[in-house]
Amino acid sequence: MPVFEVHGRTYDVDEDGFLQEPSVWNQDVAADFATSEGVAELTDAHWKVINYLRNYYLQFGIAPMIRKLCKETGFKLNEIYQLFPSGPAKGACKLAGLPKPTGCV
Amino acid sequence: MKEAVKLGDMSRPGRTPLAHLENEDLMRLPPPLEDPSKYHNWTALAPHTREKYECGLDDTCALNLPQPQTKEEEAQLVAKFLSGLEKLFTRENNWTFLQPLLLTMEHCAKCQTCSEACHIYEASGRNELYRPTFRSEVLRRLYFQYVKHGGLLSSLQHGAIQLNWPLVARLAELSYRCNLCRRCAQTCPIGADNGLVAHELRKLFSQEMGIAAKELHDTGSMLQLKAGSSTGMNAEVVKDNIRFIDEDTSEKTGIQVETPWDVEGADILLIHNAGEILAWPENPGAFALILNAAGVKWTLSSELAGYDSINYGLWYDDAQFARVALKHAQAARKLGVRKIVLAECGHAHKALSVIADRVLLGDLSIPRESSMTLLRDIVMSGRLGLDPDRNDFPVTLHDPCNLVRLMGVVEPQREILRKICPRFREMEPHGVDNYCCGGGSGFAIMSGNNFPDWRFHVSGRKKLEQILNAFADCLDPSVPKYLCAPCSNCKGQFRDMLAYYNLWEKNRILYGGLVELIVNAMTDVRPGYIEWEWH
Repeated sequence: MPVFEVHGRTYDVDEDGFLQEPSVWNQDVAADFATSEGVAELTDAHWKVINYLRNYYLQFGIAPMIRKLCKETGFKLNEIYQLFPSGPAKGACKLAGLPKPTGCV
Repeated sequence: MKEAVKLGDMSRPGRTPLAHLENEDLMRLPPPLEDPSKYHNWTALAPHTREKYECGLDDTCALNLPQPQTKEEEAQLVAKFLSGLEKLFTRENNWTFLQPLLLTMEHCAKCQTCSEACHIYEASGRNELYRPTFRSEVLRRLYFQYVKHGGLLSSLQHGAIQLNWPLVARLAELSYRCNLCRRCAQTCPIGADNGLVAHELRKLFSQEMGIAAKELHDTGSMLQLKAGSSTGMNAEVVKDNIRFIDEDTSEKTGIQVETPWDVEGADILLIHNAGEILAWPENPGAFALILNAAGVKWTLSSELAGYDSINYGLWYDDAQFARVALKHAQAARKLGVRKIVLAECGHAHKALSVIADRVLLGDLSIPRESSMTLLRDIVMSGRLGLDPDRNDFPVTLHDPCNLVRLMGVVEPQREILRKICPRFREMEPHGVDNYCCGGGSGFAIMSGNNFPDWRFHVSGRKKLEQILNAFADCLDPSVPKYLCAPCSNCKGQFRDMLAYYNLWEKNRILYGGLVELIVNAMTDVRPGYIEWEWH
């Protein structure tokens, strides 16, 4: 299994770099993964997105619709891309410790 | 000049890739992408991927097939392959596709008419490895040697090939370098079907050896049969999401929209590709608005798989295919609907309407219809007030292969566009002669390793050329342009490919479905259903 190494810590990840075991996630994990997604510093705006994704995931077991994410956090899609350069699915979900979205999405 | 790949290279020991493409090798593109030195460089496969998985074919890796650790393990895998090969050619194990497979094995005249029809071969700069007959010729030689047990004379007549693990591993990857668009089969004067060969190989690998793309199997058909949808949405989540879409659509359009669930005795059970609900909610929203406005008695189903029309088994596994097709038909039978209508998803159309025909017997044989004809009837009936001026921007139409070439649904979507889009223009060629989006057969959702690079540089290239040519007179970003693609898989490919080449940012090429254009033209609806800035 591939391993993601940062700041002396290692995480088991899938082939796409997503955290293998979502339950090991905490805020430090998000900060560690930020380095791999081109996010220099986690601001309140980042946390708003990450916390929404995380809570939704814990409740429903999958990632939310992107439109819902935008509506609930108040960010436009392009603002999400500014926060997470690789986008809501590949970037923000990865930081929030969600598995990679599946199906025709 | 690079040396061309030869058939015998497939058995070459070791894992040195047989083919490597540089940007300069690829088919040239029209403006604004005419300069190959400005293309993205391909991401190289990661060292741990090359060390761990079979990557001996070309620049990419679709399957993450683990490298066997011992010679014994290799021999066992080759034996399994042989057993699967024999099964492919027996009626009891392959009653579905034996006849066209045999025809393809026995009668190919090697005229290469098909090669000129293949978008992957052409886009690659005519690399021999991607010639549609290359893969088929490997299988044909194996067939004559190991299934028909031909001797020396047969080897002289049909050619020989060495069966070993390197060949099997490369053949597994090579079966995922074809979009299964079957443009080759359409052009073959004899009726040989090289697309079918790629399909049958995938089937052998999946059904006999448990080798398949994880996006199609593990997180595809398996997840769908477990959770109800390949997206992972269970019934509770999908209902919650549809409620959100209803609210959003009502707010946006000024028309109250409510989606009916599990209505017994409805005329129509509509099945979306569930990816639409998560990624393109304006599409199911538009469907709901149109069907309600037209007075159609319709419903969605919250049964397992009843709300997700995908059937990835179509691309790699007959058994998985049948399991999912049965779920779809059972959902319709439970509600007692008059017919099933497939929303905007190409492979779901072919899967349930055509291929499932031999699986759905008795009271499961419920009529299936394309949403294209249903929408055409609604639009032409005059039941909706439509103002084409609201769609006064250039529109071109992509023909999803499964829906158009492989089912012949050509005109209904065009009748709609001619009525509501005054600046509609065709791509060339189009209709049944279309080119695949490059995401066909599951590629659009396969994003492991550097596979997307291959998808955007090679398999999507011919379609990219067509899109740029269709909009050649209006590439300026001051003119917004709409690429209409009534298929989720194609839309996924377009979203990613347009972003890869920066064609929204630089040239304002937007992609979307068909129903969005209809709602955008509806006079009862607040103007601006299509959100150009939602990107």
